Amino acid sequence: MWARAIAGIVPGFFFSAGLIGLVCWALPGPWQGTLVPGVIALFPVWMGVIAGSFAFATARRAWAFWTLSAGALLGALWTLQWLGWVS
Amino acid sequence: MKLSSSTLRTFTTLHTWVGIVAGFALFVAFYAGAITVFHHDLMLWQAPHAMDKPVETMDDAQRLLDETLRRHPDSRKWIGLLFPGGESPQALTYWPDAQGTWHYASLDNPDGGTQPPQAALSELINELHYSLGIPVAGVYLMGIVSMLYGVALISGLIIHLPKLAGDLFALRPGRNLKRFWQDAHNVIGVLGLPLHLMFAITGAMLCLVMVAAFALNPLIYGGKLMEAMPAALDTAPVREPAQVAASMGALSGWVERSQQVAREQGLAEFEPAYLKLTHAGDRNATVEITGEVPRMLGALGAVALDAGSGRVLATQLPGNRDANHATLSIAYLLHFGEYGNAWVQWLYFLLGVGGAFLFYSGNLLWIESRRKRRQHEQGRSPLWMARATVGVCIGLCVAVSASFVAAQAMESDWLAGKDVAAGIRWTCFSTWASCALWAALRAPVRAARELLWAAALATALIPIAHGAVSGWWWWKSAAAGHWALFAIDAGALAMAVGFAMLARATARRAHHGEPNSVWADPRGA
Repeated sequence: MWARAIAGIVPGFFFSAGLIGLVCWALPGPWQGTLVPGVIALFPVWMGVIAGSFAFATARRAWAFWTLSAGALLGALWTLQWLGWVS
Repeated sequence: MKLSSSTLRTFTTLHTWVGIVAGFALFVAFYAGAITVFHHDLMLWQAPHAMDKPVETMDDAQRLLDETLRRHPDSRKWIGLLFPGGESPQALTYWPDAQGTWHYASLDNPDGGTQPPQAALSELINELHYSLGIPVAGVYLMGIVSMLYGVALISGLIIHLPKLAGDLFALRPGRNLKRFWQDAHNVIGVLGLPLHLMFAITGAMLCLVMVAAFALNPLIYGGKLMEAMPAALDTAPVREPAQVAASMGALSGWVERSQQVAREQGLAEFEPAYLKLTHAGDRNATVEITGEVPRMLGALGAVALDAGSGRVLATQLPGNRDANHATLSIAYLLHFGEYGNAWVQWLYFLLGVGGAFLFYSGNLLWIESRRKRRQHEQGRSPLWMARATVGVCIGLCVAVSASFVAAQAMESDWLAGKDVAAGIRWTCFSTWASCALWAALRAPVRAARELLWAAALATALIPIAHGAVSGWWWWKSAAAGHWALFAIDAGALAMAVGFAMLARATARRAHHGEPNSVWADPRGA
């Protein structure tokens, strides 16, 4: 149980951050415009991710899934920010 | 919906443990939070002569503002003013000094102090609500508890999902008491779910928003979050002082101007609640008036003016504001139940007490599912769980009622000049600790019965202490139309009756219920 819980808490946090970041920056208008809803949305998304971690058959899969998808989301966000395609 | 049995088992274990860990803190948060809904009324209730004084006027507020700015140079940098009116009959100013300590002044006490007047009781209840009364770390602890609460809600919903529709209105009394408690736990959990989810999210937000902002800043905001914050949270733009003295407009002029701006945006009413004034006396003095627009979602809006000329600098009013201010206003008002009328407050009160019941019944279910059916002697863990549940939860009810009585005693003439806040706090925490100790030493069922009677007695003393000290007996309050005072006294009487009924039910269960349980009379007694 603990290993899955920590998967949801640690890599799950980066996944939640990446998901919110991508949505907030991809929405039309400047990124500052979705600052408050973005920070608030972190809490329900992260809670869902922590609970969702327990749906994985093993802790290893939970860790792998959250880590890889967090990397993909944050990588995509940073690339888009660096290219200046989102603002 | 079909779920595999192993998934269901995992989520049941998750729900149990998250619920147990967070349940005690959540009981405190909900019980104290239900009372905090009435925090404005509590201040009136605590102040012995609040009702004898007339509601202050805009001129009084102006005098207080001028006096505060004249006497306290620190306040010229940043000062807040609470308008006299619906929420508080007296105007109040507040400002931080150079060390960051808050000061509060009113016309009765223009020199100010570090405690808001007559707020000791409501402050204590509020602190129990958001930090369990633990300084500094308590708030972060409650943030983590809110996260666990969210996880418990999601996992509880998943476990209950297969039977959700079929069992929604089932409440099956009968021989199987576990079934009955389980039904009660489920029905309150499901019907209260939208409200519980909202509290889990806004509670976590209120406690952890700065932590979350620091963590998200480098990850997704490229380190530029902190400079974007003021524009997203405040209405008034940040203006540096010009270092040139200039005269400022009058309070009434600012209020009229903001109401005029609201009308121009199609809002017929704008009732000022509080204002923030920065760099008072400077040419760049800025005033931000926050007010309520009745019957709007997220009713609080703000107008920022140049304090000298009254020129509009920015507005964030309902119906015409950006996503940041709209979500913030709605999240705050949803959490605090400050929308609608008195019915919404009573609904929040009932749902708050219902929420406290949810956590209490969760602990009872945990004990029940570990009950040894064929022997009187019960295991150590159910025994200590029962003791902790009784000591912490019922003990809190006794302690909160005792602090109400203490608040009246401290305001009485016999104890004049004593530190009111310290007296109330000391009473609260020593009562709570004694109850917990009592529950640790007695058989759980005896402790439960005795502490419930103690809660009934302490709660029944609330209206008596209030009447004896202030002279506002509940029938007199009702006759004079002071419904806020009447509601607290009458509510306390109702709660006292409720505690007495629970005490009798506990006694009945101990005598006549299933004998092999921690809730049965000990053998040989």
